[in-house]
Amino acid sequence: MEQTGELAHRCLLLENRELAEGWHLFELQAEGLVHADPGQFVQLRIGSATDPLLRRPLSIHYADAQRGRLRLLFQIAGSGTALAAQFRAGEELDLLGPFGRGFPHLDEKAPAIFVGGGIGMAPLFFAAAVRRGAGLPFKFLLGGRADAQLPPDEYFRSHGIEAQIVTDDGSRGDRGSVTLLLERSLENLSPPYRIHACGPMAMLSRVVELARPAGAAVHLSLESRMACGIGACLGCVHPFYRGEQIEYRRVCLEGPVFDGEEVVFEK
Amino acid sequence: MKNSAPLALDLAGIKMNSPLVAASGCYGYGFEYGTWVDLREWGAIALQGTTLHPREGNRPPRLAETPSGMLNAVGLQNPGIKHFLQEVRPRLGELGCPVIANIAGESVAEYRELAAILDGVDEVSAVEINISCPNVRLGGISFGRDPVAVGELVSAVRGTYRGPLIVKLSMEASDLVAVGRAAESAGADALSLINTLKGMVIDIAARRPFLGNLTGGLSGPAIRPVAVRAVWEMAVAVRIPLIGMGGIASAEDALQFILAGASAVAVGTANFIDPHIAREINSGLRRFLEQEGLDHYSELIGAARDCPESR
Repeated sequence: MEQTGELAHRCLLLENRELAEGWHLFELQAEGLVHADPGQFVQLRIGSATDPLLRRPLSIHYADAQRGRLRLLFQIAGSGTALAAQFRAGEELDLLGPFGRGFPHLDEKAPAIFVGGGIGMAPLFFAAAVRRGAGLPFKFLLGGRADAQLPPDEYFRSHGIEAQIVTDDGSRGDRGSVTLLLERSLENLSPPYRIHACGPMAMLSRVVELARPAGAAVHLSLESRMACGIGACLGCVHPFYRGEQIEYRRVCLEGPVFDGEEVVFEK
Repeated sequence: MKNSAPLALDLAGIKMNSPLVAASGCYGYGFEYGTWVDLREWGAIALQGTTLHPREGNRPPRLAETPSGMLNAVGLQNPGIKHFLQEVRPRLGELGCPVIANIAGESVAEYRELAAILDGVDEVSAVEINISCPNVRLGGISFGRDPVAVGELVSAVRGTYRGPLIVKLSMEASDLVAVGRAAESAGADALSLINTLKGMVIDIAARRPFLGNLTGGLSGPAIRPVAVRAVWEMAVAVRIPLIGMGGIASAEDALQFILAGASAVAVGTANFIDPHIAREINSGLRRFLEQEGLDHYSELIGAARDCPESR
């Protein structure tokens, strides 16, 4: 079979910064990965030992093709990410990718609305930066638990992203949820527009409901535990509607970005 | 004179240029990895399990990481034999190495029918009958526990499939060696062992089993010593060749199985961590042969038995 590109990448870690409480930002020298699309992911090997055994799928947070730099942003969520957070500048990281299908139609003229819940903002940031670079309109809405658990405003501003932020406790922006923010935004916006969202499932479900009356297209980036990341093991599937039927699709290969109307949300 | 193909073999009629097999269920139909890696490093690829009718598989979550291993509970998700013949078969030639079809049924009749269909499929070099899947309610392991049932099943399949027939065994068998012998007597050409070990993880916050299927199959380095022991015991009990598997992630791991008596070895979970694992293991095996001054790896098959304690 034809090989389409290099899969394995050894990338120098230039910086590991705690961007928010428990959030780590990796800046990597990664020429082989910078042409990835927003919404794609990489599989990071945590160490050379067998525990933890599996790689961790991480969203590509930003790519600077000119400088050959790639950023990954993740939140410590378990033992694997806790170990990953200990990588230091100067170490070489073992990555596979880029994998998956990213956010579609990022080059269209109609406004894009990015809706992030917590660390779900990681891939949306990249998509928003691409639209900023192309001079295309977008809104960036973000919800978090508290001020300290979100990147500083300056981080968004330095990339030309005007983020509208709300927190559960009101410690930054208004108190409330990002879906409330979305609801308000949609009142002042007339179709056509397109929504891209990433965050907890309950939030994503609400985003789909809110988009429906306006007939807006919604694309959701889903998260799943993965083994191969390549489409072979069938471990990361999520249920989707296909007409009247429900079928399992691979988050790693058919996704991680899916048409929101097809995603099945567990009651 | 140096052997130009120190890793080549004929495994029960399958012409392989390496003793490495991509383990069924870990390698899709080969194409998924073929997009990225050179599949000719494999001696053969065992395709994901195929059933007579499409199966949607188990509800997620299907994966749980465990110490030096993982549980999976995929549940034989596959589009069925009809789709296989129409969509997968025409592309199998692209893989560039022999293909082993893995079949699973809910009854002897289903296994028979699947084998009969595959008998006429030239793109498939061998059939592996899965009697050891821990993740489905009907079929799978329910056939693999009892030597008498295994003998009947293998005979039935043998009657309809003329090519190399491999039987994939599980440690869930009441008496693994007896099951292996029964498969051999019924006409199996090779045995592959071991399938995953049935295991469980509890989500303490939710106070329920973590996996959607409640239990799953344990794979990875954690099961390797159990698998090596199984190969060791089976190697003296049967004459047909063994494909050893269970947590192989390096040439050294593969050599343990070969020295225990396996003619070939399969690699599953390790692909997820290193997609270029076949290339790594092949070159490690060649290096080892060179260091040891050996002409062909087959000189090592079962060689660990020469130790005084085992005689």
